[in-house]
Amino acid sequence: MNRIRSRLLPALAATVLALTACSSDPGTGTGAGKSADSNTAPVEIRWFCCLGTGEQAEQVKAQQKVVNDFNASQRKIKVSLEVVSYNNARDTLSTQIASGNGPDIAGPVGIGGAAAFHGQWLDLGPLIKESGFDLSPFAAGSVDLYKIGEVQEGIPFAIYPSMMFYKADMFEEAGLNEPPHKYGEKYKWPDGRESEWNYETLKELALKLTVDKNGKDATEAGFDPKNIVQYGFEPSRDDLRYQGAAFGAGTLDSGDGKTVKIPDSYADAWRYFYDGMWKDKFIMTGPVFETDQFNGEGAAFFSGHVAMSANFLWTTYGVAGAGKDWNLAAMPSHKGKTTSPTSADTFRILAKSKHPKEAFEFLSYLVGKASKELLTAYGAMPARTADQDAFFTTLATQFTNTVDWQVTKDSVQFADNPHSESHTTKYNQTITILGTYRSRWMTQPGLNMDDELAKLQKEIQTVWNG
Amino acid sequence: MTAIRTRRRIPMTLMARREARHGYLFILPWIIGFLAFTAIPMAATFVFTFLNISLNQQEPIAFVGLDNYRRLLGDEQAWSSLGVTFRFALLWLPVVIVVPFLLALAVNSKSIRGSSLMRVLLFMPYVVPFVASALIWQNMLVDNGWVNRALGWIGISPPSWLNDPTWVIPGLVMMGFWGLGAGIIINLAGLRGIPTELYDAARLDGAGWWRQLRHVTIPMMSPVLFYTMILAVVEVMQYFLVPLVLFNGTGDPAGATRFFNLYLYQTFFTYQEMSYGSTLAWLLFVITLVVTLLLFRVSRHWVHYAGER
Repeated sequence: MNRIRSRLLPALAATVLALTACSSDPGTGTGAGKSADSNTAPVEIRWFCCLGTGEQAEQVKAQQKVVNDFNASQRKIKVSLEVVSYNNARDTLSTQIASGNGPDIAGPVGIGGAAAFHGQWLDLGPLIKESGFDLSPFAAGSVDLYKIGEVQEGIPFAIYPSMMFYKADMFEEAGLNEPPHKYGEKYKWPDGRESEWNYETLKELALKLTVDKNGKDATEAGFDPKNIVQYGFEPSRDDLRYQGAAFGAGTLDSGDGKTVKIPDSYADAWRYFYDGMWKDKFIMTGPVFETDQFNGEGAAFFSGHVAMSANFLWTTYGVAGAGKDWNLAAMPSHKGKTTSPTSADTFRILAKSKHPKEAFEFLSYLVGKASKELLTAYGAMPARTADQDAFFTTLATQFTNTVDWQVTKDSVQFADNPHSESHTTKYNQTITILGTYRSRWMTQPGLNMDDELAKLQKEIQTVWNG
Repeated sequence: MTAIRTRRRIPMTLMARREARHGYLFILPWIIGFLAFTAIPMAATFVFTFLNISLNQQEPIAFVGLDNYRRLLGDEQAWSSLGVTFRFALLWLPVVIVVPFLLALAVNSKSIRGSSLMRVLLFMPYVVPFVASALIWQNMLVDNGWVNRALGWIGISPPSWLNDPTWVIPGLVMMGFWGLGAGIIINLAGLRGIPTELYDAARLDGAGWWRQLRHVTIPMMSPVLFYTMILAVVEVMQYFLVPLVLFNGTGDPAGATRFFNLYLYQTFFTYQEMSYGSTLAWLLFVITLVVTLLLFRVSRHWVHYAGER
């Protein structure tokens, strides 16, 4: 028995020691905001990706190179990159924050992604002031985009305007002229007639470009809606707010932070989307969207079976899948007003970061010296206006076809304001409800959209009231 | 006068005490793990239900009494999610209890040739990682997938399994068939454990296949069936992974796969409401506990333990 005890006790002691070692917090004692001097170990900064873009293999490679370059350039900060796929990123970050193990920097993160973590970002204002970071290369409006109340949560980095991606070969095949590239220009029909470039004109075009397996378009007698091989139009499907904002900027908040009001432009857009799927058939339904034939890497336009698609600049990552004849056109107007839903990504520092100064130093590097490399990888337009031409020159080399990138630059002036992803009361719950209705509309025919809109508003209001 | 019988504890010998001490020492790592990762977190979540902890809260943490429980009563989403879980349970429980039993009966039958091969084939899908099998099934169940093509060949107009709120639950049940291998093995072990004398006696009494099944096999298998039932109930209340993988936790289509556990997960990690999430977790725990206790209570009437005195 004594022999057993003599063996067990050291084993137990070793276990306790191991547990103690595991539970000790390496960060303890560093202190918030304390900087490491050259004699101590480098401060470790964790960069969390991907609440927005950044998870594609090439992007990860570019991000890792930026980290390696930064680490090699100095000795006081050591950055590590944590890549979590977009689908899991929000939950992972929540878990990390809840367990007191949050990263220092997160990004690139859009306005919506950041709104999901409202109140948890560091105010960069004092650090910008202290470090003398130059904000003058950015348009004042883009800097203010990241100002939530009195808190400057970010520095402009990347913008992604929406444009109309289209397949020129499909227009040619149908004997139709291509949609206008310049904002304000009218659409010219083959018979010489001119129409305002709005969503009604788009619908008229889309019907002609929706083709069944027998080659009949949706305006012809005998068109077979059950066997469509080419669709005329694909809206930005990911989020109902993007579709709404394409018809006119707005938010669900009536202004007092308590009352839900679906903007008229959103209601119009959602009716258009629903009727386009189930009545007019020029937009694919949810089940069709899920099929291999049409779901090309998450965006239907990439499948090469869609004639027009309103989408963000970031979709350039997979647009090559659509073939070699794609180009960009202006966003259509709705009730005389044109809107280009615009996404804007940047990097943010967590308010609970133990090393905000070092994190800001790395953030300055990301939005400064490393920005060109990263923006190219992300397919994002630089917020720094002076860098935009060079960016498009580089981006153009990725494609063999000639793309009218000027459309992208022109779209910026039609950015949605208020932004569709702006923070609202009970933001995350609101997004979930919108997602449920989006799924419902995509999968269920025969719904009365007036009732649906009333129900949606009521449901969100109930959550806001709670 | 009724005599009160008290059990007198027999004092432990020195040797027995020493052995007990060593026994405790051996299970100490487990006790530490249980306390650290189960008991204390459970107690903590119970305390959280009376607080207002949220990751994005601006106000300090405070005691809110029964506010979270009051909110739960009026939370339509919580009850609708519970409805999704119960609807799934209604379909899934009979399948997960009865089908493995029937398949085990078939494999155990002497009149079926190649039962060893069948056993292997039936168990094989179980070793495929769950996430991988869910993704395979996703591709099989899409509108132009293999399942619908097969249904089309035999003249059945196929449903949209993953996009139709009515058909998505049967679709998930179908996917679950891949996980029945363990149940089959458990049932098979139970069947092999039934003494053959009982069947010999039944046959002598003139019992045919059906009466042998009804009066010998099922009573003797009742502890195994009860065991699989308890496991299935606990499992169904925790059902979560497949809808999370297939629909990225969105509850699509139209909220039809927002199982209670998924809603709980969303409340914790998407909505970041730790206190309310804890309240939901406790509701789930209480429901599972009550159902399990009820099953144990009812089991007295139908579960037969051969060794019971």
